[in-house]
Amino acid sequence: MSKLYTFLKYFFITFWTVFVVAPFLWAVSTSFKDFQSVNSKVTYIPWLDFEPTLEGWRVLIKSPAKGGVDIVEPYFNSIFVTCTASLISIVLGTLAAYALSRFTFKAGFVRNNDITFFFISQRIMPPIVLSIPFFIFLSTIGLLDSLLGLVVVYIVLLMPIAVWIMVDFFNRVPKELDETALIDGCNPYQAFYKVVLPNSIPGLIVAGMFCIIFGWIDFFFAFILTFTEVQLLPVKVVALNSSITPWWSLSASALVSVAPLIIVAFIVERYLSKGNLSGALK
Amino acid sequence: MEEQMAKIDLSNIAHTYNPLDPKPTYALNPFSMTWENGKRYAILGPSGCGKTTMLNIVSGLVRPSKGEILFDETPVTDLKTEDRNIAQVFQFPVIYNTMTVYDNLAFPLRCREFTKEKIEERVKAVSDTLNLSSFLNSPARKLTADQKQLISLGRGLVREDVAAVLMDEPLTVIDPDLKFRLRRNLKEINEQYKTTLVYVTHDQNEAMTFAENIIVMDQGEIVQVGLPKDLFEKPKTTFVGYFIGSPAMNIFHSTVSSDHEVKINDTTIKTNSNLGNLKDKNVKLGIRSEFIELAEKERSNTVKIKLTRVEDFGNFKLLTGKMGDLVIKSKVEREKPIPDGELNLYFPPEKCCVYSDEKLV
Repeated sequence: MSKLYTFLKYFFITFWTVFVVAPFLWAVSTSFKDFQSVNSKVTYIPWLDFEPTLEGWRVLIKSPAKGGVDIVEPYFNSIFVTCTASLISIVLGTLAAYALSRFTFKAGFVRNNDITFFFISQRIMPPIVLSIPFFIFLSTIGLLDSLLGLVVVYIVLLMPIAVWIMVDFFNRVPKELDETALIDGCNPYQAFYKVVLPNSIPGLIVAGMFCIIFGWIDFFFAFILTFTEVQLLPVKVVALNSSITPWWSLSASALVSVAPLIIVAFIVERYLSKGNLSGALK
Repeated sequence: MEEQMAKIDLSNIAHTYNPLDPKPTYALNPFSMTWENGKRYAILGPSGCGKTTMLNIVSGLVRPSKGEILFDETPVTDLKTEDRNIAQVFQFPVIYNTMTVYDNLAFPLRCREFTKEKIEERVKAVSDTLNLSSFLNSPARKLTADQKQLISLGRGLVREDVAAVLMDEPLTVIDPDLKFRLRRNLKEINEQYKTTLVYVTHDQNEAMTFAENIIVMDQGEIVQVGLPKDLFEKPKTTFVGYFIGSPAMNIFHSTVSSDHEVKINDTTIKTNSNLGNLKDKNVKLGIRSEFIELAEKERSNTVKIKLTRVEDFGNFKLLTGKMGDLVIKSKVEREKPIPDGELNLYFPPEKCCVYSDEKLV
């Protein structure tokens, strides 16, 4: 029984690993191919099956004037927009979540839970519903097709995630922790940043991770709210496509787009596996 | 150092958690009390009787709906928690996970901007008392639950200037063995530093062994304040009689038959209470099972019971008997021979308490 269990366990782990890793390897391999190696017959291994070329990668940094599709600028645009929006969302979201977790609000029939739900409800709506209001809003304040405009929109999209995760996290941090800090002589602000916040780092990391992921992968708003001045990476990657599908440069751009998320995943994983989430109060 | 500690006055304090309700329910009914400097108090009562509310009012976490708190005659009702010199320890250990044990203990002093030398000296003294010296540099989250609770206690004791250390069932998570030692430690600390200690518990043994004064609470009321001996021998209400002592006090429905006598079923029991103005009224007679004696034969103040159970507790035997439908429990010495079937129990008049409307006459 236990042998069978062990076998099945390893079997599924192996299966899943292959399932996840194979497309990456396929993309890596494809990114070094040329038209011939992709279209003539199925090829796998460089030098053996096909002659590798860097053409797919070169296109990504070549300027359009020379027949390239320069993704360097969109890349840094994406990093800037994602990081700025995530940071602001985390700061504002954490403060909002702390208030929602610790204080009781009453406004007519509205209570804490309703406010929290209001935040989350922003994410329930299909993005298409928000696109027209956002478009009008940004064009009114003159931020259409600008990095700042995108940052504003992304804060609206990301802060609900931060609030949602942090409310849940703070609710699990016992209020006795804050009370103890007050008794030990902190004022409420010190209690928050000296005691509650250091205890909430795992929550902050998780919230930050989600914000970065959702910010980084967004295509829809980046596509609708920008035209020529500013472009973000996902839009540019899609724009790579033409009448002859350039599989090689698409693969290369997919790999460089995913790279930051892989780095984030490794950082988060190392942090969370330390077990800092548990043992806060036992 | 000692002159910084305070007498704590609670004057006409009452608290409700739903003050806007037209008919608020009170978690604490109006009461007044004084906690003398340097004494040990225990607040004893069942869950939900308002013990924790009372502590939170003193520490400032809860602002009382009514009344005033005075530290050494100075009103502090509107003073914030961080500005009151109160230490509070909660039922479950609260530690600062991200800090070392040393930093945890030093935190209250750092918040109050003590000098480095002073902090070191105090942390060392407290960690010695609590046996935490060898862990000072470990991360606090790595410790066991009872060690964590020691840290919580330590943070309370590290400040010399505290007016009182309030403890809300602090030893719940601690091993019985260590519990005993810690209680003794706390007593020593109290005797040595003259720190006022207030200890909330629902465990009567804990309260009895720890405190000089016990405050018994029930449903937001303070029912009795007194020495352990008073609570045991002269419970002011039937609730105290039930709540204190194991087994609970024997309490019988009875009728007053003369100035000093009551009738249970048909047996007349003489008491030392003055029952002149309660003639023919229904009252309750309470007597501790410890005070009921075995009688050789029927005489005055004895009741005849039918023995239903004998339990041997090692150091004593607990007899359970029935008189009609009344159940009587009596503790007797282990060596005493117990006759089978029917036996007579003697109620010493000075130990009989009479309750009218649940209150001691």
